[in-house]
Amino acid sequence: MQVFKLCLKILKKNILTLLIYVIVFLGVAAIMASSSASEQVKDASFKQSKANIALLCEENTPLTAGLKQELAKIAHFVELSDKTEALQDALYFRTVSYILRIPKGFSEKIMNGEQIQLQKTVIPNSFSNAYIDLTIDQYLNSARLYVEQIEDISQESLVQYLKQDLAANTAIELKINEKQAAHQSISNYFFNYLAFSILSILILGLSTLMLVFNNQDLQRRNACAPLSTTNFNRQFVLAVLVFTVLSWLIMAVLCLSFTLKYGININTLYLLLNSLVFATCAASIGYLIGNLVKSPNAIPAISNVITLGLSFISGVFVPIELLGSTVLKCASFTPTYWFVIANNHIASLTNFNYTNLQPVLASMLIQIGFAIAFFAAALVLGKHRRLQ
Amino acid sequence: MIVSVKNLVKRYDDILALDHLSLTVNDGEIFGLLGPNGSGKTTAINCILSLLKYDKGEIEIFGQSMRPEAYDVKRNIGVVMQNVAVYNELTVQENIDYFCGLYVPDKRLRKELVTEAIDFVGLHEFSSYYPKKLSGGLLRRLNIACGIAHKPKLIILDEPTVAVDPQSRNKILEGILELNKKGATIIYTSHYMEEVEQICSRIMIIDKGRAIATGTKEELKAMITMGEKITVESQRITETQLNQLRRLPSIVSADYKNKLLIIKSSKGSNNLETVLEFFKTENIQFGKIYSELPTLNDVFLEITGKQLRD
Repeated sequence: MQVFKLCLKILKKNILTLLIYVIVFLGVAAIMASSSASEQVKDASFKQSKANIALLCEENTPLTAGLKQELAKIAHFVELSDKTEALQDALYFRTVSYILRIPKGFSEKIMNGEQIQLQKTVIPNSFSNAYIDLTIDQYLNSARLYVEQIEDISQESLVQYLKQDLAANTAIELKINEKQAAHQSISNYFFNYLAFSILSILILGLSTLMLVFNNQDLQRRNACAPLSTTNFNRQFVLAVLVFTVLSWLIMAVLCLSFTLKYGININTLYLLLNSLVFATCAASIGYLIGNLVKSPNAIPAISNVITLGLSFISGVFVPIELLGSTVLKCASFTPTYWFVIANNHIASLTNFNYTNLQPVLASMLIQIGFAIAFFAAALVLGKHRRLQ
Repeated sequence: MIVSVKNLVKRYDDILALDHLSLTVNDGEIFGLLGPNGSGKTTAINCILSLLKYDKGEIEIFGQSMRPEAYDVKRNIGVVMQNVAVYNELTVQENIDYFCGLYVPDKRLRKELVTEAIDFVGLHEFSSYYPKKLSGGLLRRLNIACGIAHKPKLIILDEPTVAVDPQSRNKILEGILELNKKGATIIYTSHYMEEVEQICSRIMIIDKGRAIATGTKEELKAMITMGEKITVESQRITETQLNQLRRLPSIVSADYKNKLLIIKSSKGSNNLETVLEFFKTENIQFGKIYSELPTLNDVFLEITGKQLRD
């Protein structure tokens, strides 16, 4: 096992560089994961907020006063002058997110059972606006119903009825397992971040190893020895496998040590499996790069460019939801993206049936496909180099 | 016979690197392969070691056909490559142990062999050093130790003294003689004729992939017509005297340049005496005078018409 031992000695010689990466990566990961978890828990507790609304009322009737009262429950009223420029400025500078104009004759039309259109100007895609719309619709629909059902109903009585109806609320209890949510969040974050560290370690380690073994003088010298190529390659592949599994194991144990206080569940096991699949893929990238680089000085630079690049576009550092569609389209041609996608899927799973697991398994298969492609490219490149 | 090469032909596209090269290496000899850079020495060695595919020819080592899978043959061969081939990540001792381990699986025996090899090349005090900390000469010695640690029967050294200081060169040459004394057969390639003359029992001179002469150094020198070269320091020699000198029996050529008269004589005795007699008759004043026997460079020059180091 001379070649196997040699590989381990070469890797051991570079252990300091690899350890620096492990320590720095985990330090950063620990800080970021804890802050991310507290945010996640904060998000889980519900608190109602009020939107800013400008109400431009062209008549003053009990019906409009009633509507104003209802809206006051969910919105703050902001006084604005009824000038186009002032209204536009208020929307632009987010002083208000909703401007509602109640036209003259509004109450009369309601009381006559006619259709009425309220004029609104809003900031697009605002969640609070939907809530205001809902309240207005509820108020007007209920009013219409009363007018249709009770003949000659007065505005005061109508407002009274509406007030009673709309005061009725259904109590909703928001149940969130904070411990579970924190666990999923931290595990997800750590395992996503693992992509960066494991890629760096495997690219650095394996490309260094490949560079040594691609030295033509050493190749020729080894070829003079009574050691078959098959035996030589077998020992080399074994060393690569041991290094890959050891690196994954160390990183996985470190990840688990951070999340152990929340316990280990099925999600964790799937996250571990996904990270092992990704480690194989990272090893294939390292193997390919090792066949491409010609100088040891180029390895850290190439490793940084590849790991940082892949991590940034694939949602390792930035949540995938915040990335643009073009970036994600490009990222889908990288294994890191599918690793993160699988992790996110796993983290959101509560039921592990085949249908739910299908996207996870598909992502893992894509990563395996990438690994095979990279290994094949490296072998072709290696053969081409030997023939030269 | 340890090595037998018959009609070896190797082409690199249009370039004929080895042109029907044949050689034999006998048990216990130091066989020198001498030729200028690019003459085909390393190509021949690489073919012998099955590191290169060749177009034509037969190679046998220890009576067996040499192939990349001839592991039993390879087990008894030690190789010292032209370029130093050691691992920078391993110490001197680890490097020797690694290469020795490719031939000797027994750990205890290997430990002894590694220590012996380290002592043999004089690297004892550097055994824990990494190659990058070694000088060029020490690195060459490490390269040799890696090649000979497993005590092979046949050692192939491909220009092991290139870019080595004189002290390390002498140490290496002494080492090779010692290995030979201990029973190893050696193939030694070089473009330094002095080294080859110093240690080789039989020499093959090759040029453009062809063997141009083979034999002991005495046999090679006997192949040429030149006898000795006489050099005389003299302040003044006229053209008439120079022509008279050229007409003397057994004188092949006489040239006067920068106050140095160089006379080349044909084989035979009393050449120096004839020249001295002529100087006395002509009353030519001279300073130093010395005579040299022909070198392998003269052999190469006479056969190929060019210097060995052209």
